[in-house]
Amino acid sequence: MADITGAEGQQTHPAMRWARDILLRFLRAEWSGALIAIVVLAIAIEMVTDGRPFFHPTNIMTILNNSAALGIVAGGMTLVILTAGIDLSVGSVMGMTAALMGYLVSYLGVDPLLAIAMGIACGMGVGFIHGGLVAWFGMPAFIVTLAGLSVWRGTGHLATGAQATPQLPSTFDTFGRWNPFEPLRSAYQAGELSAFWQPMGAFVDDNWVNFFRTFQMSALLFVGFFILLALITSNTRFGRYVYAIGSNPSGARQAGIPTTRYIVMVYMVASVCAVLGALLFLGRAPYAKSDYGLMWELEAIAAVVIGGTSLFGGRGSVWGTFMGVILLKLINNGLTLAQLNTFWQMVVTGIIIVLAVALDIVRQSRDPMLVKRFLAALAAAMTFLTLMTPASLWVRATIALMEHNAMQELQATGATLAPPQAQRVMNPTAVEAALAAQADAGLPSAALMVVLLVALAAVARPDHRVTIAALMALGAGLAVVLTAGYATAAPLVMLGAVALIAQALVKPLGRQAR
Amino acid sequence: MLKSRLAAATAIALALAVGTAHAQDITIGYITKSATNAGWMMINQGARDAAAEEGVNIVEVGPAFADDLTSQLEVFENMVSQGIDAIGIAPADSAGIAPAVNDALAAGIPIIAIDTGVSGAEVTSFVATDNLAVAKVQGAVAATLIEDGDMIIYVTGSQAQSTGQDRRNGFLAGFTAARPNSQVLEVPTEWNSEQAQVGVEALLNQNSDVKMIVHAWDGGTMASVAALTNLGYGPGDVKLVGFDGASDAIAAMDQGWVHANTAQMLYQMGYQGIRAAAAAARGEPVAARIDTGFFLVTPATSGVYKQMVGIQ
Repeated sequence: MADITGAEGQQTHPAMRWARDILLRFLRAEWSGALIAIVVLAIAIEMVTDGRPFFHPTNIMTILNNSAALGIVAGGMTLVILTAGIDLSVGSVMGMTAALMGYLVSYLGVDPLLAIAMGIACGMGVGFIHGGLVAWFGMPAFIVTLAGLSVWRGTGHLATGAQATPQLPSTFDTFGRWNPFEPLRSAYQAGELSAFWQPMGAFVDDNWVNFFRTFQMSALLFVGFFILLALITSNTRFGRYVYAIGSNPSGARQAGIPTTRYIVMVYMVASVCAVLGALLFLGRAPYAKSDYGLMWELEAIAAVVIGGTSLFGGRGSVWGTFMGVILLKLINNGLTLAQLNTFWQMVVTGIIIVLAVALDIVRQSRDPMLVKRFLAALAAAMTFLTLMTPASLWVRATIALMEHNAMQELQATGATLAPPQAQRVMNPTAVEAALAAQADAGLPSAALMVVLLVALAAVARPDHRVTIAALMALGAGLAVVLTAGYATAAPLVMLGAVALIAQALVKPLGRQAR
Repeated sequence: MLKSRLAAATAIALALAVGTAHAQDITIGYITKSATNAGWMMINQGARDAAAEEGVNIVEVGPAFADDLTSQLEVFENMVSQGIDAIGIAPADSAGIAPAVNDALAAGIPIIAIDTGVSGAEVTSFVATDNLAVAKVQGAVAATLIEDGDMIIYVTGSQAQSTGQDRRNGFLAGFTAARPNSQVLEVPTEWNSEQAQVGVEALLNQNSDVKMIVHAWDGGTMASVAALTNLGYGPGDVKLVGFDGASDAIAAMDQGWVHANTAQMLYQMGYQGIRAAAAAARGEPVAARIDTGFFLVTPATSGVYKQMVGIQ
């Protein structure tokens, strides 16, 4: 196989070597898969949306603000998964404690800080029960926390009557929507600033909407929490024991680690993190309610796994989870900005999650062939999405026509149509439109189908001849997309092409890694 | 889920035991879509009050989580096999419940569909607001609040459900007829206020000239109030239009956030539904379609509305 790059000479420039080392070190980190996915996705979204740029600080801060609550819940989940456990109850614990704290403040007149302390105590108790059942009674964590998922959600509804509270006092804003620049701005607007602060106040006020408005406590607490958690996991005995228990529980016990005690502690941390997540969520929500946090356990687990942490324990990192949460929220934010159809959003979200995790598996294996396959698969996935741009129109029109014809045949036999069946019968203009859509989208769909087949061939046989054929096919696909009026899909084709070109880097990098 | 089924079985058994003790008594099953949503709690209250007024037993069962068809089907079949006198149901899925409804009707049990219709079965009566018609009014009223060409956001309900589809289609029909040049950005949700808040924040950040946000339900309206607060907007900076007439959205109207709200007569839906079920169980004729109507709440009419539904 010929070397495509030629960059791999005997005497490499020191700067080149340095760049390569950095790149290799980056690829070895658990969080690199998620980060690459974030960057690639962000570029893709940037290209398909108009209006204010996607990379605008206010948008990035908005994503951070909205990631904060889930992020802290996922942070606790990371520790549990590192010990090879799982906590399915975090969403319910989050909802229960959010409702409880809101309820205490709104209806019983408890001081907000005291209510928060009670919420945290409640989380510790819940975690103690979970951890105790797992560690001392040897019950599977999956079952214990599955029961918790049901029990704590029910308890939350029972305790608060499942009613929303009025808006919470501003103490809660401190953990969410409060903006550290707000006092400076209001002082400036009131003209109370001294000469020294005056220009800064003016600067903040001028750039309020475009920049400072979205600097809120939730994003700051989110980042701060993860720095703290990363320090704890990498620098304390607790952190080392968590990894040790996860990678080899019996070995850890033999080495004198009090595993049961640490497992109980980990579940307590997870539940307390759920309470803190509730607190951050309340800081931005309209009211407190016991149905908050639905499905958060699944989102948190997804974030942890996307971040490269193994579900079998012992391997992974807190920063991976940080990236995983941001990736999940970025998908959400980006697809909303791109105004993609709801059902397509669901499909695309799933595809991105699978690709992110595949990337992580490929990265760990360090098998150059697998890496090439993955890059080709990425190109194929992009081609598939490109294909669906016209093909979904073609399929929809074709199905509508088939339904129309079938219903007309049914009518011809003298059957009466039920209302949903009658809806399938189209009027002549709608039939006309469907036929036109079918004709318009048919040819580009067929052409892109061929491109997809070539891209799939490159997955099956990732040698460079097939890859170059796939690259040429993608080029043709780009021409099809642009001439047939589906320009919104053009960035997808280009991303696919970049993935194929990146295959050339695999061999030299792989050699260096060994 | 198991819990709710078990509870349902016990409740039905108990109610029937009581029923046999007083041979005249009628027992009506009432299967709701949600026991925790603010709007559904009003419907459920109406149902209970109607049962008390009619002097019939009511067995109320809510799903473990909103829109769970399988648990609804199981509860429904339990009720039918235990010989209940009539069932009022808010189907989690219009088509999915149809075969079970047909079986029950064939067994002579009257079925009243509440809020959401059953497609593929001729229920005894369908008690609901006409979502499509009300949403058209919502669209037409919303159009009067802005100029043609202004950009707006629409927060949808679940598009896999007829209620969500009708509200969106009705709104778009009513709105675009009056304001054809306005761009409508959409925030898709599954009736989840968290999704609504995150989506509205994202869109407002990118498009600072959004003039109005319209919602398919009032959970979304309250989420927009939070999103606007988070971004430092005040009441009235971006106009909000709600759907449902929930009490917190009406309170937000008094504060100047919300400018119009098409209120369903939620309480009436539960009340009329169970009254119809009781009448059908006694063998009296009931209308096949009972429209519970709607009320257009604006700052001018909010006083009347609050008095009508009993908000302080």
